[in-house]
Amino acid sequence: MASNILRKLSGTFKNVGLAGSRRVNAAPTVLSRHLSSETQTEPESRPTVRKPDLVARAHVTDFGRYVAECLPKFIQKVQLTGTDELELLVAPEGIVPVISFLKDHHNAQFTNLSDIGGVDVPSRMYRFEVVYNLLSVRYNTRIRVKTYTDELTPLDSVNDVHKAANWYEREIWDMFGVFFADHPDLRRILTDYGFEGHPFRKDFPLSGFVELRYDDTKKRVVVEPLELAQEFRRFELNSPWEQFPNFRDTTVIEEAAPAAEKK
Amino acid sequence: MLRAPLHRALSLPNLRQLSPAFRNLSTTSAQLEKIEVFVDDKPVMVEPGTTVLQAAAMVGVEIPRFCYHERLAVAGNCRMCLVEVEKSPKPVAACAMPVMKGWRIKTNSDMTKKAREGVMEFLLVNHPLDCPICDQGGECDLQDQSMAFGSDRSRFTDIQFDGKRAVEDKDVGPLIKTVMTRCIHCTRCIRFASEVAGVDDLGTTGRGSDMQVGTYVEKMFLSELSGNVIDLCPVGALTNKPFAFTARPWETRKTESVDVLDALGSNIVVSTRTGEVLRILPRLNEEINEEWLSDKSRFACDGLKRQRLVAPMVKNEKGELVSCEWEDALVSVAKAMLRAGEQTAAVAGGLADAESLVALKDLLNRLGGEALCTEHTFPQDGSGTDLRSSYLLNNKIAGIEEADLILLIGTNPRFEAPLLNARIRKTYIHKECDVALLGPKVDLTYDYEHLGDDTATLKKLASGQHPFNKKLSAAKNPMIILGGQQFGRQDAAAILAAVQQLSQSLSSALNNKEWKILNILQQVASQVAALDIGYKPGVSEIRENPPKVLFLLGADEGTITRADLPKDCFVVYIGHHGDQGASMADAILPGATYTEKQGTFVNTEGRTQQTQVAVTPPGMARVDWKIIRALSEVVGTPLPYDDLNAVRQRLTEVAPNLTRYGSAEDANYFAQATELSKSVKTQLASTPLDVKLKELQDFFMTDAISRASPTMAKCVQAVLKQKSSKY
Amino acid sequence: MATGKAASVVTRQVRPILSLSHNEARMRALALYKAWYRQIPHTVNENDFPKSVKQCRQKLREEFMKHKDVKDVRVIDMLIIKGQMELQETATKWKQSMHIMAYWKDTVNKKPTDFYSKFLEGKD
Repeated sequence: MASNILRKLSGTFKNVGLAGSRRVNAAPTVLSRHLSSETQTEPESRPTVRKPDLVARAHVTDFGRYVAECLPKFIQKVQLTGTDELELLVAPEGIVPVISFLKDHHNAQFTNLSDIGGVDVPSRMYRFEVVYNLLSVRYNTRIRVKTYTDELTPLDSVNDVHKAANWYEREIWDMFGVFFADHPDLRRILTDYGFEGHPFRKDFPLSGFVELRYDDTKKRVVVEPLELAQEFRRFELNSPWEQFPNFRDTTVIEEAAPAAEKK
Repeated sequence: MLRAPLHRALSLPNLRQLSPAFRNLSTTSAQLEKIEVFVDDKPVMVEPGTTVLQAAAMVGVEIPRFCYHERLAVAGNCRMCLVEVEKSPKPVAACAMPVMKGWRIKTNSDMTKKAREGVMEFLLVNHPLDCPICDQGGECDLQDQSMAFGSDRSRFTDIQFDGKRAVEDKDVGPLIKTVMTRCIHCTRCIRFASEVAGVDDLGTTGRGSDMQVGTYVEKMFLSELSGNVIDLCPVGALTNKPFAFTARPWETRKTESVDVLDALGSNIVVSTRTGEVLRILPRLNEEINEEWLSDKSRFACDGLKRQRLVAPMVKNEKGELVSCEWEDALVSVAKAMLRAGEQTAAVAGGLADAESLVALKDLLNRLGGEALCTEHTFPQDGSGTDLRSSYLLNNKIAGIEEADLILLIGTNPRFEAPLLNARIRKTYIHKECDVALLGPKVDLTYDYEHLGDDTATLKKLASGQHPFNKKLSAAKNPMIILGGQQFGRQDAAAILAAVQQLSQSLSSALNNKEWKILNILQQVASQVAALDIGYKPGVSEIRENPPKVLFLLGADEGTITRADLPKDCFVVYIGHHGDQGASMADAILPGATYTEKQGTFVNTEGRTQQTQVAVTPPGMARVDWKIIRALSEVVGTPLPYDDLNAVRQRLTEVAPNLTRYGSAEDANYFAQATELSKSVKTQLASTPLDVKLKELQDFFMTDAISRASPTMAKCVQAVLKQKSSKY
Repeated sequence: MATGKAASVVTRQVRPILSLSHNEARMRALALYKAWYRQIPHTVNENDFPKSVKQCRQKLREEFMKHKDVKDVRVIDMLIIKGQMELQETATKWKQSMHIMAYWKDTVNKKPTDFYSKFLEGKD
């Protein structure tokens, strides 16, 4: 069923998109992996390697291209992960339109918001990545929408689109300190009352800043700053007798940084 | 005794080492024209005789290998370094094959990759898959290289479980754990034992899949350098026995530090986890220890957590030491100090750092005390300790490699400084260098000319009448190493004077004016720094003027005993182990070991180095100089430094070389020292020269840390057991 | 006002959280302060903790004065949001007396500063 629809989609796309392939390049859309995958013809024979489903990949690719064509203003990049999962990288101001498009569009119907996650990469200009995982029950496919923000820039709440977002966004607010504008009830959800800081931030130490203990003389739990600084955890994975650092391929997954900042 | 280390039938002969006649090949080849080869199409000019592997390393291409090691002879038996050479029908073993003109070496071609994959597969056919319980896991060459170069599939279909080779484990002593099934027969351990350690115990038996590395007979591999085969072993066949099943390498914290258990100051890495020193590994320093480490430095680390003083103690009315708070201990020490006034003295032990030495000196000087001594003596006649040249290893450790004649006087470097001995052995084997020994006959792992052990020989040498003088004067770079232990003798001044005069007479005839001849091998890590700061060597002054308060700064050698002191003398011990010094103390102030403080040490060549904090001191123990600083506050004359930088500032004021880390300052004024030595009136005594450490069992327990170490005790037992065995 | 102008000079235009100007942020801060101030007597009355209204108001002032040098409008807004959250937690009695007492940190000892007491404590 899904394949039928997606095949239709790719058909539509071919009619519209490939006619002006130059336009595709000019658009902010970059499909990172698909070009090489289409030219790759040799079938994978190694038993330990996952067999690629070229048909499914083509469908996902085409759908991604289609969405990018529909929302060129918001979608900055469409990419496939190593296991052919579709990811849309969108500008922060476009998160509500994109999510509602994906929910309401007849060819998408991503009606289920499975999860909202956060990623903290302090080195980036917009250090937080907020990840929306959507499920289309109608077509049995999933899609991931990623956007970005920093400590002080509010994101629009998608609570009006998906009611499920209420608690997910509270969780992101609590753990990362990302503020969601127009959220009906944005308050802490996991941490204790009076807790300071956002524990999932990378600059938050594993041991926290305070420790709690029951004080026998005061007859209550007291909060005290943590004295024992946690040992800096540094796993050295290179052996001390490392002989061939040059042969150690660290496969760096290409970072999907947002395209040039808007405005 | 082999000079050129080529002996194993299994090794591919390297032309350069075939016979002593070829030993000078490298020097003659310097005049030959360089040839051009191409490594992965990168051109490189190399000298003829360079191996493919070395040529590749010159352009930064590392070729995988198991058996090849830069500091050992080439064996060429693992075949991991096979690379393709254009127009060669077969891949060549890069470690053993000298390059030819115009060769195009391909280190990443399909043929090379296939060869590596094949070799890897063969190695793994008989290698157990016990990585999860293997101590090498995480620092295993086989693991790393099978990830990088091995095949990603297995063709191993041995479902009947009758295939993999199994080899009985060997008992090679309390330091090295063997799991011989894991052995891939790289023979690095064998080559190390026979070339560097000079103990020809290891070898192979059998061939093909029956080949085994072992000791032929039931024998332990006992050497003062045996621990290095653990580092050399590319797999988990030889692992650290005391460290077995303790921690994974990636979860330990590594602190780069300096060893203080002998006077060389070998560079080490201290591996710690959860505030505990787990193991000590060598750190590369070409100037001192290359990449080796002596067994005492490596394995005595379990002595760091035993017999420790963890709380301050003061004697109560009954005369028992009871632990107390810091404040009480400091106050009672301060009271005694104020009562004693000028009559305070101090003895510094062999493990004291320069910071605490200078702090203690400042404190005592402020109170008027002048008697600050070190445990190890040095003659005060002649130039005394005023001229640094007379108490340093002036040629430096690396300088040994340039010597062509080494005269050892009253020393057994094998156990006093094992890595110095390894250098001498290296020079003896690879260069034209001869060694002579004046002193008791001991096994130095290489041949030497024994000149006897009586002082008359020394006298003859000094006056130039001994037959050996001819050799000495014929030598281009002669070197005389005088053991610091001889300064304990009554006629120390005469011995030093004789040696100084001998070296001066030789050096005046020398072409190379930069070459120093006189070298003193100190016994302990703190001695040079203490003399630089201005401590008086030897405790005779304290014996003559018994003080009312005596500080023992880690002095555990028993040079001063209760019998030397008046009854009312208050003894304060500042140190880390409950050893001799602590047992005679009235108050104990627990200090930190070298792994627990940032301390400055100067090794026997005058090189300043610092230890780093790897763990925190246990219990209530504190860093030594801070104890002295705190005590000064209680006494009422606070020392003007509150942090390490300020102490080091003070060190710089006293002796600027003490804070120039890493560099060894050259000493001079040899001629002046010799002139002054002529005024020495002491006569040479007739007692023969002797050394304390003669046999291996003497080597293991020489200081407070190694005496507290159970591993070292096991080593002594093992050596004694070996002695009684029929092999 | 001056800061408001300064903000407009900043090259990167940012999305506001709540307040469009510094003045607005100031008003919000004052409103939050007032709300807390009025809440305190009720809190003291309804919870069992050993502090008087006066002490609480002193602490309130202290907590606000901690951030007196914050100039960025968005940072002020973020602090206001968090303060609002705390106020809600206090007023609805989600916070227990122990949470409220955490503002005082009355069990924490001062760290030693001179060498000798640092030595006795064993801390650097």
